[in-house]
Parts: sequence; structure tokens; C-alpha cells
Amino acid sequence: MKNGEVNHLRRMGNAWIVISVVADLVFWFVVGPHVPPGRLTEAAKNNQMDFNILMMVALPVLLGVWVYMGYSLRVWSAKRGGPEPVGGPAAASNRRVQVLWISITSVTVLAAAVFGTVALIVDHGSGGGEGPNPVWMPAGAAKAETAALAGTASWSPGKDAVLPVQVIGQQWKFTYRYPTFGGFESPDLILPANTTVAFNVTSLDVIHSFWAYQLSIKADANPGVNNVAFTETKNPGQFVVRCSELCGIWHGSMYNYGKVVSQSAFMNWAQQTETANAANTKLLPPFAYTYTPDANGAAGGLYPDGTVTPYNSSLTYGAKQPAS
Amino acid sequence: MTISAERPTDVVTTPPSINGAVRRGGWFSQHLGTALVAAIVGYLFGHWLGNHVAGNYPVVVNSGVNDVANFFGLLFGVIGWLLGIGALNYPLAKIAGRSGIEKTQDVEGFSKYFRYSTDHKTVGLQYVIGVCLFMFTGGLLAMAIRTELLNPTIHVFSPGTYIEIVSEHGTIMMMMATSIVLGPLGNYLVPLMIGSRRMAFPRIEAFSFWIFTAGYMVIFSALPYGGFPTGWTGYAPLQNQAGPGMISYLFGFAVIGLGMMTAGFNIAVTIVNYRAPGLTWSRVPMFVWSILATAALLTLATPVLFSAGLFGILDRVDQTAFYVAEHGGSSYLWENLFWFFGHPEVYIMALPAFGIVAEILPVFCRKPLFAQKVGAAGMIGVALLSFFVWQHHIFQSGINPDMRPLFMLTTELISIPTGFIFLVGMGTLYKAKIRYELPMLFSLALFFNFLIGGLTGVFLSDVPVNVTVHGGFFVLSHFHYTIMGGLLFAFMAGLYYWLPKMTGLMLNKKIGLWQFWLMFVFFNLTFFPMFIIGLLGQPRRVYTYAKNLQGLNDFSSISAFILGFSFLIFAWNLAYSWFIKPQKAPANPWDSLGLEWQTATPVPEHNFDRIPVIMTDPYHYSEPGAQALADLGGVGSSTGNPA
Amino acid sequence: MTDTYNKPGVMSNTPEEVEFELRAHIGSIWTGGRLFIGMYTFMIAALAFSYFYLRSSNNSMEWRPNHVTAPTAYGWAIYGCTAAMSLLAIFGQSRLRKGQVADWLVAGWTAVGIGLLALFLQLWEFVALPFYPGSSGYASTFIGFGVMNVITLFVTTYWLETSVARAHAMKREFGAGAVLAKTAEARSWRANVASMTYFQGFAVLVATMLLLMFYVL
Repeated sequence: MKNGEVNHLRRMGNAWIVISVVADLVFWFVVGPHVPPGRLTEAAKNNQMDFNILMMVALPVLLGVWVYMGYSLRVWSAKRGGPEPVGGPAAASNRRVQVLWISITSVTVLAAAVFGTVALIVDHGSGGGEGPNPVWMPAGAAKAETAALAGTASWSPGKDAVLPVQVIGQQWKFTYRYPTFGGFESPDLILPANTTVAFNVTSLDVIHSFWAYQLSIKADANPGVNNVAFTETKNPGQFVVRCSELCGIWHGSMYNYGKVVSQSAFMNWAQQTETANAANTKLLPPFAYTYTPDANGAAGGLYPDGTVTPYNSSLTYGAKQPAS
Repeated sequence: MTISAERPTDVVTTPPSINGAVRRGGWFSQHLGTALVAAIVGYLFGHWLGNHVAGNYPVVVNSGVNDVANFFGLLFGVIGWLLGIGALNYPLAKIAGRSGIEKTQDVEGFSKYFRYSTDHKTVGLQYVIGVCLFMFTGGLLAMAIRTELLNPTIHVFSPGTYIEIVSEHGTIMMMMATSIVLGPLGNYLVPLMIGSRRMAFPRIEAFSFWIFTAGYMVIFSALPYGGFPTGWTGYAPLQNQAGPGMISYLFGFAVIGLGMMTAGFNIAVTIVNYRAPGLTWSRVPMFVWSILATAALLTLATPVLFSAGLFGILDRVDQTAFYVAEHGGSSYLWENLFWFFGHPEVYIMALPAFGIVAEILPVFCRKPLFAQKVGAAGMIGVALLSFFVWQHHIFQSGINPDMRPLFMLTTELISIPTGFIFLVGMGTLYKAKIRYELPMLFSLALFFNFLIGGLTGVFLSDVPVNVTVHGGFFVLSHFHYTIMGGLLFAFMAGLYYWLPKMTGLMLNKKIGLWQFWLMFVFFNLTFFPMFIIGLLGQPRRVYTYAKNLQGLNDFSSISAFILGFSFLIFAWNLAYSWFIKPQKAPANPWDSLGLEWQTATPVPEHNFDRIPVIMTDPYHYSEPGAQALADLGGVGSSTGNPA
Repeated sequence: MTDTYNKPGVMSNTPEEVEFELRAHIGSIWTGGRLFIGMYTFMIAALAFSYFYLRSSNNSMEWRPNHVTAPTAYGWAIYGCTAAMSLLAIFGQSRLRKGQVADWLVAGWTAVGIGLLALFLQLWEFVALPFYPGSSGYASTFIGFGVMNVITLFVTTYWLETSVARAHAMKREFGAGAVLAKTAEARSWRANVASMTYFQGFAVLVATMLLLMFYVL
């Protein structure tokens, strides 16, 4: 570097550091706390944190390229004159720069992957659908899910038990079954605060996706498959449920609202609804994790065959289930 | 010393012998018109046959829908189209033993553009018009979508019509985008850039274009059939439940898939075998590298889509149960097969864009391309990795959860080779002498847009964040940033850069500047708000949304209309520069060193009088006294330094 | 620095240029043949993936109730024809390399006949199936396999037939020795036969794998 010549890279670097630090700080303190999906549940809180941490990395990268490009386009434009640019091997490659670039990007990317994996496992799937055989479960979830099938599950305030809830998608609405309260089915999704909830998502027809936005839950509803997602609710609040997988004409209208209420209020609501719906509940098929027609042709199979062993998905929870 | 000194100079001046017959012109020979007539006849015959075969099947009688007839109609329609245009002349004559290497001379004159031409330059220009047709129809549908989303409660379209529009828009754009660079620019320029006088398989090349146009008509036939409600992803079991328009989707993708396979096949083989002497792999220009990587992806990934489509058609026509879980199939099977094709397809749309930009940057920076080998390695890396990331599309679908960290890792790894392209771009800009011509502006816009698209991709690949952003406007905005902001801007750069070579006419710069700034600004104003809309909870493909999002949606819609208008400016620029005030292009308007600029304009049918000999790497810009790129043999040329 | 044409001249055809382009052409046939195998592998892989995916998921216990099987007699007959066609083609090419054109022609025409027979059997098998297409996962994938096998048999037989027909046409046009001559026509044809034979070998491997999957396992 000759004397008097401007050190372009240092200039860019200084500008980049200043702008990045400012942008990161502004984002973290001003925007970050309001980033969706909010803080209604443990999963939502963690996913918000995840988003913000990724943003802390992404903003400097974005700004780095922008600062570099903006500076180059301004300083080295042909209109502003300047000497003929260097050509030849010197300009065609520079091993140090290349190695540095590849190393930095690789480290960043691997760090992001490790971070994402840790966040995913620590948060028991982060609210995403884990399929019929979830590998990352909160304590007590397997017990509660098994009990739900046997009809022996119970939930009461203050007991710190996992609450299994079934989400049934069909064209074009979601309904919810509560196995801990006699398996009644309701169009309303009411959840108790400070409780770990296991959503068992399934569908009766095509693929839907259960997206409880503020809870940060998203799990596809597949016919014949039980797609499980976990989260722990925090304070009372309201949330919206939308279908986020195209499911036909009225896909856009497939939404409703849910509520997180205090544990005692939830208990009241559940018990009242259980009583009020008792007559209807009797007519429903017994609680199971999937409801699609089985091999015997029940519920619409096209090729009934009496010799086939009926498939009962309800009996196989915890064992390897088919599908997926 | 040039190599031509070592070459024998006894040039044979007689024109090359053409073994085959010279094709006849005139109204009664094979052209677009006969193809249309044959397609209609084929369609009617197929429909009749289907009704004859399956008309009394209980499923047909009970449902009133005869998918067999619909499918046969389209199948025979496509066969008729190919027969009518003349695509099957040679394959049929071959049964009687016609030669594999004899060449049929094309019809001369303007009407060759409406015929089965085996000249790669004619096919390239045909593709320009073909993809523009796709693009404008798909774009009109996009305008309709944005019109509907102006208001959450007042609807312009019924929900059914809206889903049809959304699905058609997605499918058409995806089909178009697979061929938008490889078709027009790849076919036209690759032989010129590698110093070849022909394509490896000119008939297959012509076939790829005409089957592509057949695919356009097949996918549009969905509309009179009542459309299909599945979006471009066509998920089963909604696919099995949908109306007869679904056949058009499945068959359309299979037909376009044939076009993609054949186009990729021909170009890959050409690049491997027809490089001029001296054009070693380290000297191959970046655009050719990118097209080679794309062609490899096309030939290897598309067969899976073809199979998936075949299974879907069998499900509907033959009542099999590939995607019906109740009968032993699986809806996940479609998701896996579709995305196994679908993810490489995304890179089929990104790689040629990188290639175009890498080709244009050095010309307007007057500098050699920085880290060319790293860039080429990046393209190969992207192509390879893209086969191992498909399950990130179905993170929340209930797949085996153990797979999620793995696919998160591979997905994030792919940003390393993608980052190489940024290294190449930024390194080339360093201490350059940048000229702000239109191709350069569009290329720079790619770096701006693709950076946003790429970084948001990392958010999507992170499974915890994916819970919120999957299936919403966030991901929608992400892939519009990569495909439209990347590929389409690069395509525009390529058109402004190479159309003067292809047509011999310059495009108007003033109108082009209007187009660029409107397109760039309003592209960002259209799609950036969609990130926020998505984060605030709006799912994709809905006709109604939360009332508090109306402001953002309206902003996005109005920007989208202006963005659409910028494409009209482009159309106007084409009309203005070609017909109203044509301005002849200089031989090398951008002072490029590329081989494609060194042959005559208009390019003669045989491209190069003599096979050029490549003597050095490309991109020796700003090096006075550097060795010439190629020795063209000195026939009819003005050797020397025009400086 | 640049070397730009001003006006197009006449395409030159020096002997070395002709040879260069001919070699590129023959190379293309070689590369194209291999790339075609790559394409075909992915297409078949999609079928194999479907088979094993549905088999291991066994949704609704409907993968293969009662172990229904397509008629194995047809299966083995079709497989036998496919294998015979491919082996004949391979044998014919080895004779051709030794200069025995007549052997190649006889083997070729026989193989074409056997290929057509296989195609006919595969089509006829569809009306002899003991199950409905949608009755199980196995039934569905079997139909998919059948359709793909029709395509494969058509492609292999067509390729074989055009090669044999071309040999006859060349003999007619250029005389008895034309097939083995050093002309561009003959070299191109021999490259094509080589690629075709290679594909035949691939086809018999695929047929073996699919036979095991659909008739034996």
C-alpha cells in the first residue's frame, strides 16, 4: 500500500462495523421484543429468540454486502474517471481472500445449523409437527398420551400434568377433542395457562395444516396420521388458528380463534362442556388418534376384504406407527 | 504466433453437402398452422376414444366425469401437435433406416420461426417468444391475485376462481422459469460460446421447444376444465379429490418435464463434446458452466417428476392408489417425489442467473472475473447439494423428526456454494471501472435481491423459525425474491446484453432505464412488505385475511400493478426497438471479449466459418497486449486490435 | 484484442474440421447414451422408491393383503424375453466387432421380434391381473411398473429396430461393406450400436431388479 492511497477496505470495514452495531442494537431492543409469534407460550418465546438471534447474524451480512457494493459502485464508477483497473492474475484471484471468505461463510453456516438443532431439541420440537413418533417429548407427555387412549387420562388444575388435545382438520374447519374429559368434541380451542399441551393433529380428508399462530404451533393434518406437536402455555391470552396448507376452495376461510385461560377457568369450561355435550359424545367414534377408513371397508373403503385384520391405530401409540 | 499458421489453409470453399432433402416451404408444408389443426383433430379423436373405452364404467357413469377421455384427449392432442409440426417425421422415417447424421436444411425466411427448425439460433429466438408468452400470461394472473387481495372482505373473484388463478399462476411461472434462461439464451449462446458450429442433437433441441409449447396449451386447458385447486405443488389427496382440471396439471407437468429433460440432455451433451479445440474445462466461460450444471439438474431431477406425474395420472385414470393412504398408498409419497424434483428445480432457476451475471460483470467492470474457479465449483456444489435438501419443504408435515436436523444442515450448507457467487461478484467489483449500462444495472439488482432472498432462506431452513414462517407469505416472498428478483432480473440483463447479438438491433436505453427503475423499485416494494405480512400471520393462497393487514396488502398490490406495468414497458421497448425505430447494433456494443461476439452479426447458419481455436482463459479485460481469446482462422475476419 | 468477423464467409470443411466434428458427434452419442441411462435410472428410482416406501409404511395394512401377486408366469415370460433381447443385442454387437455383419443382423432381427413379443405380453398382462389397480399399495405400484415397462420395452425395441434397419439401408445405399467401412455414416452407426447395446445391458439389470421386486419378493 503506497502512502497517500486510500485504504478502501479499511474505510468500508469501519463503516460496516458502525452500521452493523447500530442496526443490531436497534433491532434487538426496538423490534426484537415484538417479533412474531410473541410470547404466549414457551415455544413462541423460544422461536422469537431464535428469529432474533438469526437476525443478529443476518443483518451484518446484509449490511456488509450493501456497504461494499454501495461503496464500490460509487467510488469505482467509470464516470468518475480514475485509473484503468488492474487486470491479470492479481485481479483474477487472491488465495487469501478466497480462503477467508469460504472459512467465514462455512463457520457461520455450521454455527447456524448447530444452533438450530440445539434449539429444536431443547424445545421439544419447537412447536413443529413431529409426526406419529415424536422423539423430543416433554416430561410426562408419553404417559399422558397413552393414558388418553386407554380412557384413563385426567387433568386437573395445579397437578402439572400434560394435557393432550386432539386437533381434527376437515374441509373446511378445525374441531378439537379433549380425551381427558370424556373425549368431547368442540369447535372451540380453550387451553389452560402454564400447562404443557400435546396437540395430536389429524385430518379426515385432505392435508391441512394446523397453525396456532401465537402459540407457535404448526403441524400438518394428514389423513390417517397423528402428527404431534408440543408447547407450554404461559399467560392467558387469545390466539388465532389458521389452515396454512392449501386444502381446497374454502382454504382461506378455514380459521378460528382460541383462548388460553386460567387453569380453574379452563376446568370449569371443560367440565361444563363435557356435561353439555355428553349426548353428542356418545354418538362419536371412540377417541382415537386417527379416524380414516380402515381395511375392512368401514367408513368407505372401496375394496372390502373380510379376511384382513382390522388396523387399529389407537392400539399402537408409542410403537412405530405406519405412515410418515 | 497464432495457431492458424499450423493449420492447413486450403479452405474448401464449396458449401457443405447436405444429404437430406431441402424442406419445402409454403402453406401446405408443416408449420404452426398444421400443428394446431393436427392437435385439435388428435384431441377430438382421443376424447372420442376415451368415451368409447370408458364411457360405461360405473365410476364414469356415477360421477359424470370421464378422466380417461380427458386424458386421452390431451395425450392425442399433444401427439397430433408433434405430428403436425413435423417433430415425428424423422423418428418415424428412422424405422425404415434413415441416416442419423444427415441434416435437413431449414426453410429460409421469416416463416422458419413457425416451423420445426433445427438451427439452434432459430430455436433460441422461438424460445424467447415462448417464455415471454408464458411470463405475460402468468403475470396477468398475478395481477388478478393482487386485485383480489386489495380487500379482505370485498371479493372480486369467488373462492373457487381465486384458487384456480393462484394455481395456474404458480404452475405456469414454475414451468416457464425452468426454461427461461436455458431455452432462449442457453440454446442460442452455448454453441457460440464454446465455438461450436452446431448442437449435438438439433432435432431433440427442436423437440424440446415444441413440446414446451404443447405444455403451455395443456396447462391452459385446465381452465375450461374448471381449473385445479391444489396450487403448483399439487398435494395429494386434494389432487385425487380435485376436478378434471387436475389431469391438465399432471399431464402438463409430464409434458413440460419431457421438454426440460430433452433440452437439458442436448445442451449437456453439446457442452461436453462440442467445445472448440483449446477450450479446456478451466477456460469454459461461467455462463456455460452454469448452463451445464442446470442441464445436469434438468436431466436427472425431472424424470422423478415425470414418474410422480405418471402415478398421479394413473390414480385418476386407472383408479390406482399411489397417493391414497386408505388403500395402501401414501400422501407423503407425492410430497417426497414432488420435492425431490422440486428442490433441484429451485436451483435450475438460480444457477443460470448466476451464470449470466458472472458473464456480464467483467465486461462492465473492465476487470477479469474474480475467483472464476471458485465460482464454477460453487455451481457444481449447489447442483450436487440440491439433491439432498428436499425434505425442508415438509418440515412440519409429520415426517420422521430425526430427519429434520439433517435437512436443516444440508439446507444451510447450500448457502456456502451460493456465497461463492457473491465472492465472485464482489471481488470483480473491487477497484473496477464500472459502466452503468442496462445489463449491468439488472445484474447489480440481482445481487441486491438475491441477498435478501438468500438470507431469508436461512431463516426458513431453521426448523424453529420455520414453524412460524412455513406456508405463509414469508416463504412466498422469499422465493419471489430468489426467482423473480434473481432469475427474472438476470434474464432481463441477459436480454439487454445479448438481444443486440441475436437480432442485430439495439434495445432503446432510455425506455430500458424506465423499465429497470420501475421494475427494481416496485419489485422490492411489492415483495418486501410480504415478509412482514407473512410474519404477521397471513398464510399463502388465501382470498381473505386479517383486517389489520389490509394496509400492507394494499401497498403491496399497488406496487405489484406498477411492477406489472414495467413489463409492459419492456414489451413496448421490444416493439419500439424492433419495429418502430430500429437501430442497428454495432458488432460488439459492449466491448466484450466473449467468443459469441466475435462471429458475424447476424450469425451465419454455421456460426463460425472455421472452427475457432481457443488460446487463453476468458475475461482478460484491462490487459493491454493480452493474447486474443480465440483464433478464428482468419477467414473473412479483420484480425487485429480494434481498441 | 478481439478478432471480429465483419461479414460471414463460407463454412469451411477442411478434412481435420470434418474429422473434429465427426469425433464430437460420436462422442455425443457416447455421452448421450450414458446420460440417457442416468435419466432412466432416476425415473426407475422413483418407482423403486414408491415401492419400498409404500411397502414399509404399509398404510391401513393395505400394502399387500394376502400377498396378492401378479401372474408370475407372465412375469417370468416377459423377463425372459427382455433378457433374451438384451443378450442377443449384446451378442450381436460382439459378433459385429469381429466383422460378422450377418450374425449381427440375424441377432438384431430376432431380438426385435422378441422385444415386440415382450411388449405384447406386458400389455396383455394388464387384462389378466387378479386384482384391481387400487386394491392395494402393491397393486398400484405394479400398475406403475407395468406402464413403465411398456415404455422401457418400447424404447429398447425401437432403438434396436432403427439400428438394424439402418444397417440394411446402408448396405442398400453403399454396398455390402458399408457397415464396416470407415465412412462417417458407418462410424456414427457403430457408435450408435455401441450406445444401444450398453443401454440394453442396463435394461436387463433394471428388469432383473423389478422382477425380484414385483414377482419374487
